[in-house]
Amino acid sequence: MSEHDQRTPVAITGLAADDPHLQPAARRPELVEQVIAVLFVAGIILCLGFGVAYWQNWAPWTLGATMGGGLSLMGIGLIAWGKYLMPRGPFVEERHTLANSEEDRNAFAAAIVERGGSVIKRRKFLGGLLGTGVGIFSVVAAFPLVRSLGPMPKGTLFHTDWKKGSYLVDITGRRVNVSDLAIGSIVTVFPEGKQDTDNGQAVDQTVLIRLSNQDYTTKKGRETWAPQGYVAYSKLCTHLGCPVGLYEQELELLVCPCHQSMFNVANGAMPTFGPAPRPLPQLPLMVDSMGYLQSQSDFTEPVGPGFWERHS
Amino acid sequence: MSAQVETKRAKRQAAGPYGKVGQILNELDDRLGVAKGGRTFLDKIFPDHWSFMLGEIALYSFVVLLLTGIFLTLYYIPSSAITTYHGSYLPLVGQKMSEAYASSVNLSFAVRGGLLMRQMHHWACDIFVGAIIVHMGRVFFTGAFRKPRELNWTIGTTLLVLAIAEGFLGYSLPDDLVSGTGIRIAYSIILSLPVVGTYIAFFLFGGNFPGAAIIPRFFIIHVLIIPLILLGLVGAHLFLLVRQKHTQFPGKGRTENNVVGSPMFPVFMAKTTGFLFVVGGMIALLGAFAQINPIWQFGFYDAARISYAVQPDFYMGFLDGALRIWPAWEFAAFGHTIPLEVTLPTVVLPGILFTLVYAWPAIERKFTGDNELHNLLDRPINRPKRTAAGATVLAFLSILFIASSTDVIANFFKVSLNSVLWDMRILTILVPLITYPVTYKICRELQGFEGAGKRKTTNVVTRTADGEYVAVPAPVYVDDAHHELDALPIPTFVVDEPAATVSSGVRRAER
Amino acid sequence: MKLRHAPLVLVAVAITAGPLVLFASGASAKEGAHTSSQTITAYQTNRKNAGTPNSSTVTRDPKTGAITSYGNSAITYNVPSAALNALGQSLYLQNCASCHGVNANGVPADGTAGAYPNLVGLGAATVDFWISSGRMPAADPRSVQAERKVPRLTDAQATAIAGWVNSLSPAYPGIPSPNLAGGSVAQGAALFALNCAACHTIEGAGDALAADTYAPSLRNIPAYQVVEAIRTGPGNMPRFTGNLSDYQVRNIVKFVTSDIQHPRNPGGLGLGGLGPVAEGFVGLLLGVGLLALAGYWVGERE
Repeated sequence: MSEHDQRTPVAITGLAADDPHLQPAARRPELVEQVIAVLFVAGIILCLGFGVAYWQNWAPWTLGATMGGGLSLMGIGLIAWGKYLMPRGPFVEERHTLANSEEDRNAFAAAIVERGGSVIKRRKFLGGLLGTGVGIFSVVAAFPLVRSLGPMPKGTLFHTDWKKGSYLVDITGRRVNVSDLAIGSIVTVFPEGKQDTDNGQAVDQTVLIRLSNQDYTTKKGRETWAPQGYVAYSKLCTHLGCPVGLYEQELELLVCPCHQSMFNVANGAMPTFGPAPRPLPQLPLMVDSMGYLQSQSDFTEPVGPGFWERHS
Repeated sequence: MSAQVETKRAKRQAAGPYGKVGQILNELDDRLGVAKGGRTFLDKIFPDHWSFMLGEIALYSFVVLLLTGIFLTLYYIPSSAITTYHGSYLPLVGQKMSEAYASSVNLSFAVRGGLLMRQMHHWACDIFVGAIIVHMGRVFFTGAFRKPRELNWTIGTTLLVLAIAEGFLGYSLPDDLVSGTGIRIAYSIILSLPVVGTYIAFFLFGGNFPGAAIIPRFFIIHVLIIPLILLGLVGAHLFLLVRQKHTQFPGKGRTENNVVGSPMFPVFMAKTTGFLFVVGGMIALLGAFAQINPIWQFGFYDAARISYAVQPDFYMGFLDGALRIWPAWEFAAFGHTIPLEVTLPTVVLPGILFTLVYAWPAIERKFTGDNELHNLLDRPINRPKRTAAGATVLAFLSILFIASSTDVIANFFKVSLNSVLWDMRILTILVPLITYPVTYKICRELQGFEGAGKRKTTNVVTRTADGEYVAVPAPVYVDDAHHELDALPIPTFVVDEPAATVSSGVRRAER
Repeated sequence: MKLRHAPLVLVAVAITAGPLVLFASGASAKEGAHTSSQTITAYQTNRKNAGTPNSSTVTRDPKTGAITSYGNSAITYNVPSAALNALGQSLYLQNCASCHGVNANGVPADGTAGAYPNLVGLGAATVDFWISSGRMPAADPRSVQAERKVPRLTDAQATAIAGWVNSLSPAYPGIPSPNLAGGSVAQGAALFALNCAACHTIEGAGDALAADTYAPSLRNIPAYQVVEAIRTGPGNMPRFTGNLSDYQVRNIVKFVTSDIQHPRNPGGLGLGGLGPVAEGFVGLLLGVGLLALAGYWVGERE
């Protein structure tokens, strides 16, 4: 048992000046005082150094180093002062029972129960009306806090800006031609005119990939959707909406960087691994007379993550 | 000399035995009545144990957060309006970005000391949440949440939840690519809530993602609403601590009805102020030498951009890990969809966890039938079931946190990403299942181990009639009013001859 | 043939089918007049500034009329001279033929077709990239993805081999030489964020991809190899052809060689560029850990 633990704890009041509990903990207080003084002086120099570093516009790390070093040294000195040079104790204080006496508790309960009871009992109807009023007020008071914040969702999540005949453009606004991409290429496309808009980037974003004709598995009803091996899928992951920009051309896999859902590009972007539950919606494509790619229509299902009103 | 002239001695005598300071205190007492309460306050005893300092780390990093945060609010612009960057960081020059991002980059490069303040603020946040978790662990494993401190436990858990939310909001404010992706994920999580999801998401964000409303709204919640609640709750937390007095470990002279330690003034004030400086200094040193959240490298947020190897800050890591490992379950029928692979890991799982944490004092009261006041703490090994339960929850959360770095692990160890994910799924179930019995066993072993902890057992040596010496451990020091609910039976003195003979020739008493 | 050969088969099919498709879609007709009797297989698309010759900037060998280099102020592509073919072929036979076959068609000596990639028609830049980055000769031919390592052959030897393989069935692009003097780092950063960060991370640190594939770190790659990788799409990396002009590719390279490979890191140690995971470890272990130790000193009484 340490020497500290062996001393019996005493109350701090009414001690004689030479009581062992009031003596500093250090065996050589003068030496400790000198060490603390050195720490403080070093701390002062570093704190002044912070001022100089700021005034002279030195590198950011010097600001942090001087402030950090100065504060730390002053702190260590102060802690040492408290630990080694101040009364070492241990001291004791009594815990007074938190709970009050029986009479006080009864009086308190009586005040609430009897006084309150007599009021309510005789005026139950009024009490009920008051309660109803406060309740209704709390509900309607919440209306402006909640409803005015934003618009109703309505059908917003069900449509994008893609329409029949929208040209596919890249981020610079340049239309994509069938002769532009080699097999194994990927480019992020938007409907023409929407590449700079918030909604365009957040909702319309689509990846265009060129597969070899022989790789593409035609799904029923989508036979015309992928001319010349070009497939387009919504870039919004069906898990949580991250852009699925990671394409592995040999594996023909779109991998979502957020939670590693993997979509098979050659098979309608079916999820083959990871938490995504649904395939990426496919954008039906067509080619115009000059070779520029257009969409046949909007996506045939809502893009992005699932929500309550989504039908399937 | 005239009797009217005041000599120095006369002045000193008029001032009373305690001089000028005493006079000022008297004036204060006239107006506020602080003398008695002040004296009691200065005499307050704080027990000394290193584990009681953990809450202070959280408190002082909160102070650093407030101070550095005020600095940042003077320069940060909470707006999604588009501006063009014309500062010193070349890869962004001429690019169009939100005011929020541009002002954050300017804070980092154009404002003197701005980068240090930003980094100190972010490091302080990590340390704040980390210290809360460690402090909560200490409170849990030593049973300091028991009566009368259940309310403080509730306040503390609420502080943890608010701190995590505050951190998420804070690092989302610069509107950079990494945190913006986190906001997109948060939007989708809200969207996934059954029935009300789309409404709440559209109301909160002012429409479809991303909209222009979310940054200013995050700002006001982060800078005003939550800090006010935090300040209030921290104040209540400390008030309860002062009123109920701190708990202490059992030991010499320590009972349920006293507190043994150092007085508030001067010892504790000196040590705690010194600790404040050390915490502040440490955060400043981290802010100087360890780069955190280099938003200029990430670039501004654009809904069509994404980076790989993006994880949230560590306190949100368990949610990200749960999202990654969850199977692709989706309930889609009767014209509606519930994305279970989103709602279960991010809403139901933390809901269950935090309900468990909030309800733990009540749960333990129910299971132990213990409704008494406790001011003395348990040593964790003396409560094997509670310790094992806590260790299991921590192990579960740790595995989920590790699961949020599947890609980093796969890259570092050069193994397949797919197999790492499957391993994480298996570990999430296996590790907690193993942790409970292993922790329980370790606690029981340590209980029976001679000389465990600081508690030393004495051996009573008796000599039998044949002249053999037999050493028997004396009764264990019972320091709690309650008998240990899971303790081993206390050995009694051996009266009869020991039966077993050990080949070394030394006879040992059977326990 | 085993299942693990499937990706290689796909590559071989894609690579052989690709030029055929492009040829069929009339790519060669838009090439601009040239007097060479060789038909250049348009491995890349023919969009101007997309790694293929723009008629105004082509230099030809005065004797044969073959294109020796082409490009613009951003990138110059060089086709290795025919004089290196003999050296190239002998180096190839020593270092590559055991897997890729004596005729560079992916049929090794034992006759198993499709066992290894067919190199014919891939262009000089492709072959040069794999050899000069050290990935080829492969340390383990059976591994899913060959690793960058110290190159076994010098750059000149790589060029010679690339030139010989290219001569079997010439294709674009040639071996690039980017001009980093001009251009815009800001545009490069924007293009990098949109096209490259999804695999290589926004800080260029690289990360693990599906199965055993990975996107390598960009910290140690020379400028011309970045162009080669972008234009030829090695392995699982997509091919960026007509959707990025040479000016855009040059800007990406400028960004990679400056801010990705030499980040400013004014805030202190970069912590590996791993983001919040590394920061969390440092914050918890170093921050809370050291402070808890300090708390130990504050609390305990001796």
